Amino acid sequence: MQRQRALWVIAVGLLCYASAIAQSPFAPKVSGPLSQRVVAYQIDAKYDPARHTVEATETLTYRNLTGQPLDRFPFHLYLNAFQQKSTWMHEAHRDGSFRTSSLDEWKPKNYGANDVTSFEVVGMGDLTKQMKFVSPDDGNPDDKTVFEVKLPRAVQPGQDVQFKIKFKATFPEVIARTGYKRTFLLAGQWFPKVGVWWQGAWSCHQFHAMTEFFADFGTYDVKIALPKDYVVGATGVQTSDTDNGNGTKTVAFHAEDVHDFAWTADPNFKVVEGQFEGSVGPVRIRLLTYDSHKSSWQPYIYSAKESMKRFDEWYGPYPYAQLTVVDPPHGAGEAGGMEYPTFITGDSGWFIPKGVHLIDLVTEHEFGHQYWYGMVATNEFENGWLDEGINSYTEMKVLDNMYGENASAINLLGAQLGDRGLQRMSYLDVADTDSLSRSSYTDMSIGTYGGVTYGKTATMLVSLEAIVGEQTLKNALHTYFMRYRFTHPTQEDFMRTVNEVAGRDLQWFWAQAVYGTQVLDYEVLRADSNPTNWYDKNATEKKGETTYETQVILHRKGDFVFPVEAEVKFDNGESTRERWDGKARWVRYVYRKKAQVESVQIDSDYQVTLDRDYLNNSQVTKSQRSATAEIATYWMFLTQLLAQFLSWLA
Amino acid sequence: MADNKKGLVTAGSSLLWRQQAILWWVFAVNFVCGALGTAPAALQLNRALHHTLAGQALTKGFDLGMFFEIVRLPNVSLMRSTTSSYIFAFLFFLFMLFVSGGILETYRQDRRLTTGDFFAASGAFFWRFVRLMLFSLLPFIFLWSMYAQVNRLSDSVGDRAVADQVGFCIQFAGTVLLALLALLVRLWFDLAKVRAVAQNERSMWHNMWRSSGMTWRHLGTLFWMYFRISLAAWIALLIGLLIWTKLPPTAIPATFILLEFIILSQLAARLWQLASATAWYKRYAEVVPADSVAYTTPEPEGVIEVVETPAIPEPNLSPLPEPEGPPTGARTGKDAALTDDL
Repeated sequence: MQRQRALWVIAVGLLCYASAIAQSPFAPKVSGPLSQRVVAYQIDAKYDPARHTVEATETLTYRNLTGQPLDRFPFHLYLNAFQQKSTWMHEAHRDGSFRTSSLDEWKPKNYGANDVTSFEVVGMGDLTKQMKFVSPDDGNPDDKTVFEVKLPRAVQPGQDVQFKIKFKATFPEVIARTGYKRTFLLAGQWFPKVGVWWQGAWSCHQFHAMTEFFADFGTYDVKIALPKDYVVGATGVQTSDTDNGNGTKTVAFHAEDVHDFAWTADPNFKVVEGQFEGSVGPVRIRLLTYDSHKSSWQPYIYSAKESMKRFDEWYGPYPYAQLTVVDPPHGAGEAGGMEYPTFITGDSGWFIPKGVHLIDLVTEHEFGHQYWYGMVATNEFENGWLDEGINSYTEMKVLDNMYGENASAINLLGAQLGDRGLQRMSYLDVADTDSLSRSSYTDMSIGTYGGVTYGKTATMLVSLEAIVGEQTLKNALHTYFMRYRFTHPTQEDFMRTVNEVAGRDLQWFWAQAVYGTQVLDYEVLRADSNPTNWYDKNATEKKGETTYETQVILHRKGDFVFPVEAEVKFDNGESTRERWDGKARWVRYVYRKKAQVESVQIDSDYQVTLDRDYLNNSQVTKSQRSATAEIATYWMFLTQLLAQFLSWLA
Repeated sequence: MADNKKGLVTAGSSLLWRQQAILWWVFAVNFVCGALGTAPAALQLNRALHHTLAGQALTKGFDLGMFFEIVRLPNVSLMRSTTSSYIFAFLFFLFMLFVSGGILETYRQDRRLTTGDFFAASGAFFWRFVRLMLFSLLPFIFLWSMYAQVNRLSDSVGDRAVADQVGFCIQFAGTVLLALLALLVRLWFDLAKVRAVAQNERSMWHNMWRSSGMTWRHLGTLFWMYFRISLAAWIALLIGLLIWTKLPPTAIPATFILLEFIILSQLAARLWQLASATAWYKRYAEVVPADSVAYTTPEPEGVIEVVETPAIPEPNLSPLPEPEGPPTGARTGKDAALTDDL
């Protein structure tokens, strides 16, 4: 009887919710599940702001779609990474810092924890004592970021199994995309999360300093009780806000076809809203920000809308009803620039000079993750580049489209920096370290992970445009997104799609750019002209009359083979373009004409951004002094100013 | 003479103008130091860029990406060239320390000294000014440590505050306050130098404390004088930088001239301060020595150093005699004994 009543209550609740969603002006036009919903999380959480802890009960319903019986389930406990002997802390300390935090020394405020107090499997009893911490990646016995439970009996294919987990999350002061700062909280990676059955095995890596996350799609129903003056934002949409009458309230959220759930809370949040008219319906943009960041409010909304517009046009629709954008408070930089499904964090401040496109850059980047991390959802432990790298490339394309190629990152006081320049800078120093195909968490360092995963991928894809064309690559990304959204594709799926859309086998390129660590560097080795009658001592050279033999030698300095184009200009205004397959070590071009060579330039459009050295890409016969003069002018000014400053002490 | 009717800042500027040769010489030395400090970097750059088109990205709009690319190239090693800039900046510091005596003597006498006299005065005061400079490091280091405290305070208070601006405001207010205090210290030691030259003071320790008393008693007048000149320098700097932002990247000669004009304005401001300090001292504090009688008797109400000796020479308005021997030589010992505080 009681069960029947409960079913009625649930049915009525679902009806009410469905009608509320239907009436919402922000309801997406997409109906039905978008993903194979492997998991359904229901979490009742209570936040204690004084202790920065959450005590919660989690009910996870897991549907076995693996096609085989499962009796072993691994879970992530990410917050345990913030302990002295964890693998994450070891890696971050080894490199000295992580994002904006210095980890040279241990600070108690860095402590975080996920404590599971009870673990029950419905129908199989309390298995708390069966929990066992495992370290599949490095065998670190002190790492507690993954635990496993062996069930007394296997879950058969197609069957559901329900886990009831009680846990307590203790947040560190903001670090690695989660934590508190004063009254602000970003609750990311805060609950026990089951691993992913992927390519015939569990993928449930320990938390590493260099890589992010991977999880299965499903639904989330999360209730959070907290003091009622707190403003809350989270993955999905808010479904209720109930005053508990004791100075607290309970806020409920629902999300579908997502693979993670993050939330944020702060009594000082200011809510600013915007709306984007997407191709599958309107999307509410909900910005949680601060009074002191007032000058950033409109740039945030503008960046979000402009990014959504271009992604919608170029790659595919954003099918969710809402995008929550969190503008973290000052001092919470570690919470900034992060993506969770339908929920992103930006980066701003009370003063950002006009011309520094920081808000656009971060907002666009994190929104882009909604596609590559959020919906395509590749394995970030194994192939970080499929998310961060492709996303860096699309970030560059969007920002270039918004602000121009040369000034999309900075356009200030006459100095300019394009996003592609920014990506290239991060790649240049690590060009020959790690391959993209390497499991990202095993990269040499956090620096090489960043440079290779973000910078190299972006520059590699820009370079690929030189071969297949910009529009073809855009089409390929569209196809890749539409085909693989909600499916966890592999890097081979991506490369196969590009090959298919481009209509050519690009294996030679992938072998070097993705699987290899070859370095691309072509140079103009020689460019000169000599009179053909050089032996005639009486002959005098006359412009337009004397015939010259011009010799141009292009040289492949690096081990990356790539077709290049060189533009040869002569002093009579003529020019010619030579296309070289770049396979041999060098090539010679010879011209006989009544003109001398003026300049030779490889890749004059700066399209092959993988080329490690732009300076040797050209040769000119006339000395170029302008750039030297310009830098020397500033250098001298600064030296004189420094001299004056010192003499002030005299 | 007519300067006595003018305000001190105006009197200082008139003195600076009349003795502008000093400004041009100091600017020339600063220019040469700047050029020599820049030379290694310019050579490196020229070697890397003179036969490539890559540098065009810097002249057709300053491309930061290309600039950083050039900086990081091992064969350019631009950052190593900074050493030369530091060395020549330090040499300019030594130069200014050395010629301070000559400059102040020129301002004191308000006439162009011969080269020999100028450098004789410079040499005569060099080691005294080195000592004075070392003494001045004590308050400057103290202010620097205060600046570190301001940083700590702004970090700690700012970290607890909800609004971002709180930390910045503390930092800004603290920095401005400390900058004003640094200006005060500079004023104090400038006055000590002026006094040392005027009185041919040998004991810098004694001179420093005498000058501090003078500075303290006339703080308002003196500080206002220095502050206005500093403000003018800041305004000149801001205007210069504002014009610079309007110049196209291709206008390299115009940029060069503008930046040098900024440098000149800053040097002029510094010398203007020294000239004004000298004018103040001559007007209100100096007991006129025998060989420097071109000045009128100080106004009684402004006198802060009084001579206990019976004889103060009457003002002699005859034309200034040409100095014989080192300009400071005639005033040793005796003049120093002429003065004392009230």
